[in-house]
Amino acid sequence: MALLATASADNTINIYAVPANPTPNVPFKLLRTLRAHLAGVNAIAWSPVGPPYTLASASDDKSILLWSPLASDFPISPSPLVGHSNYVYSLAFSPKGNMLVTGSYDEAVFLWDVRAGRVMRSLPAHSDPVGGVDFLHDGTMVCSCAGDGLIRIWDSGSGQCLKTLVDEDRRPVTSARFTPNGKFVLAWTLDNSIRLWRYTEGTCVKTYQGHVNQEYSLSGTVGSYYPSTSGGQGQGHGVAEAFLASGSEDGDVVAWDVTSKDILWRGKGHKDVVLSVDFGRTKAGKGLLVSGGKDRDVRVWMLEGESRHDLAERGGDEMDPNMGMEMDVDMQMPAEPETETEVEAESDLINGEREHARHKGGRTEQNPAGGNGSAMDVDVDDAVGTPGLGSA
Amino acid sequence: MNLALIDPFQLAQDSPDALINDLRSGHATTLRFSRKGDYLASGRVDGKVVIWDMETFGVAMKLHGHWKQIQSLSWSRDGRYILSASQDCRACLWDLQTQERIRIVKFEAPIYTAELHPYNRNMFIASLFEDRPHLVDITDPIPVKRILPTTPLTDSIPRSENKQATTSAVFSVLGNHIITGTSKGYINILETESRKIIHSTKISSGLISLLRLTSNGRQLLANSTDRIIRIINLPDLSLITPSSSSSSAAASNNNNPSSAAGAGQDQQQQGKPQAADSEADPATLAENIVLTTEHKFQDLVNRLRWNHCAFSHSSSTGIADYVTASTYMKKDIYIWELRTNSLLRILENREEPAIIEWHPSKPLLACTSIETGSIQIWGIEPQQKWSALAPDFTELTENVEYVEREDEFDTYPQEEHQKRRLDREDEIVDVLTVERKTGEEDSFVLPVLFDIEDSEDEDQELVKMGVGTLRKRDINEGKEYENDADDVGKAARRRK
Repeated sequence: MALLATASADNTINIYAVPANPTPNVPFKLLRTLRAHLAGVNAIAWSPVGPPYTLASASDDKSILLWSPLASDFPISPSPLVGHSNYVYSLAFSPKGNMLVTGSYDEAVFLWDVRAGRVMRSLPAHSDPVGGVDFLHDGTMVCSCAGDGLIRIWDSGSGQCLKTLVDEDRRPVTSARFTPNGKFVLAWTLDNSIRLWRYTEGTCVKTYQGHVNQEYSLSGTVGSYYPSTSGGQGQGHGVAEAFLASGSEDGDVVAWDVTSKDILWRGKGHKDVVLSVDFGRTKAGKGLLVSGGKDRDVRVWMLEGESRHDLAERGGDEMDPNMGMEMDVDMQMPAEPETETEVEAESDLINGEREHARHKGGRTEQNPAGGNGSAMDVDVDDAVGTPGLGSA
Repeated sequence: MNLALIDPFQLAQDSPDALINDLRSGHATTLRFSRKGDYLASGRVDGKVVIWDMETFGVAMKLHGHWKQIQSLSWSRDGRYILSASQDCRACLWDLQTQERIRIVKFEAPIYTAELHPYNRNMFIASLFEDRPHLVDITDPIPVKRILPTTPLTDSIPRSENKQATTSAVFSVLGNHIITGTSKGYINILETESRKIIHSTKISSGLISLLRLTSNGRQLLANSTDRIIRIINLPDLSLITPSSSSSSAAASNNNNPSSAAGAGQDQQQQGKPQAADSEADPATLAENIVLTTEHKFQDLVNRLRWNHCAFSHSSSTGIADYVTASTYMKKDIYIWELRTNSLLRILENREEPAIIEWHPSKPLLACTSIETGSIQIWGIEPQQKWSALAPDFTELTENVEYVEREDEFDTYPQEEHQKRRLDREDEIVDVLTVERKTGEEDSFVLPVLFDIEDSEDEDQELVKMGVGTLRKRDINEGKEYENDADDVGKAARRRK
């Protein structure tokens, strides 16, 4: 069982069970609805260590809550984490789950000691609301970005700013995250672009375009897939290829090839802005993309045609990049209670295998998380219940 | 991965000079960093063991299980297990995943130090108060204790030195040998497998209170009551021919007390055929071991007695650059540089330091204070490089004549400019492959516990007496039932 969490502007967080082999007809089972926030939930993140699985949520009520969704409906100690003086807009766990980084509309980035619920460091990060934050996979650095157009890289141990990335146009940056291997930073800017920065040198190496992003604070993820090989009958365990997926203001979910910048796939279905996208794998290894839209829907898209293990269903056609990674609209979440004002914003998947381990007595050390696609490790997303920075 | 971005000048500084943190939880009496340095374990007067997270400088875990002061702590290689030894004559092996004691070994006397085998967490050596040291195998729930010899292997021992005790003991890097120090200043080298002394040297006239090895195992740090800290060069012990190699190799294989894991065993097996072949290299014979004292550090003027000392973190070659020590009755922490053989710096601590430990990979010192038992962390005060905040500026040390680029002020239409830029982005990028440093070992990540601070209440050091008056809480207050282990059950019943 893997878990999916969604955060919403109606102050709730929903936890769904993800079946190993999802099919379009069967809706995900809603395990819990967590209600404790007093305002819309902007961002959620699963702790990378567990069990027990811990979820952190950041909200417009200026607080951060920690949850143990499988055990309780209520926030767990040391919640709430209070310190920000304005909306908390984004958050990310450190790889050991011992620290949290949060970005807020009060223009600061906080590092928290999760165990004690105490602010370890407050970084005077930006001169505009902070859009996105992320932790590097080895825990030594965090990145932050803001409406002032800057992306900053911080040393998490000393709190020093190590690098600032800035684009010529200084367009507001609404979301930033490290790539799974931590060598690059992906940044979403309000000029219809996502940029890939080699932050050690401060150079932009790729610009991904083709989606619409002028107004809302969109975010996305790096996912991995195993392209179908032409000759092999699905036996060759291919090398994982990376794709970048993001929402778009025209209601599409867009996936790019990381190197060629070509659009691999475009998912249509949402009727309004797609605010956030996350990638994960089910217990059976099926790649899933989840997208949360302003149309109050969460959509789940399944990767098909991967030549991985015995999953290969479609062979050949390696000439057509679109066939290499086909995704189908698989299901739509059941409509949520009518009390909702605005909608589902963010979604976050947890590794199915780790969840499985819990039932076997919690031997997590046998499940190196990188096992099936390192995308699972960087699983923090930034959820948006409010319109993007540009229009705020 | 942050190294690439850190100012090289800052990285070049490799010894601490600033007090950066003060950790308080009870009265700490002993400290030990985990192998990787991400956690620090502290043992307290009241018998609790506290694990600190060195990233957050917060309490990560508390282990309750001893009744008296913790004497020493030792981490397993992967950082999942920790061995604690206490004055209550017990040594406990803890599994930090579950916070449970998986083994409890009781001795006849209080324990000075207990140290885990570097590769086998089911074996440790314990040096005891006025008793002979033990090599303990805890593979099975019932521990197998073997007594180690103390009497040095010398032809003529003066009568006065007949009776001596082992006061400290460490494993060699691979765990094949044990190095012990005695109350009469002898260093003994023992074979783990045969538990025989293969070499003895008298290095000091006083008691040897502490032994430490560098990570490559070639240098030994010895603190002695003769007021001198010595650095002793060791031969590569892994090359020393095992005494039992030819005659009893088969026998020892059957009944191998050190079911040493991993590299330890490899090394042994490499050693054996070599020895069987010939008496080849005389340097590999135990009889030819020579211990030479490389450095001596002492204060000739004040005749300071050293309380505790430690090697600095090791560079990639496994050699330590510094040695640090604390002394009695003074607040100073001394740091000597080995390369120059001189005193580098004296740090003035807020309180008198006792136990002092150097982080295994960073210029970071932790020391306990005798008076309050708090833990001071010394490190390097980070300097903000201002050019990191403003990417279009660079820091120059001197004036530079600006040379204009050929196309610097050329103007292009916006679209063309944009297109050129996008066309340049033809590089192949890999965003998935995680590079790992060679030799990097996986280490255990502690589970994140959220209810530790709640249990902090019982640690309240100050008790309210009346309006505005506080007194220090007696550490055993409220825990009288712990005075005698056997009464615990009764006390619990009484409470009901």
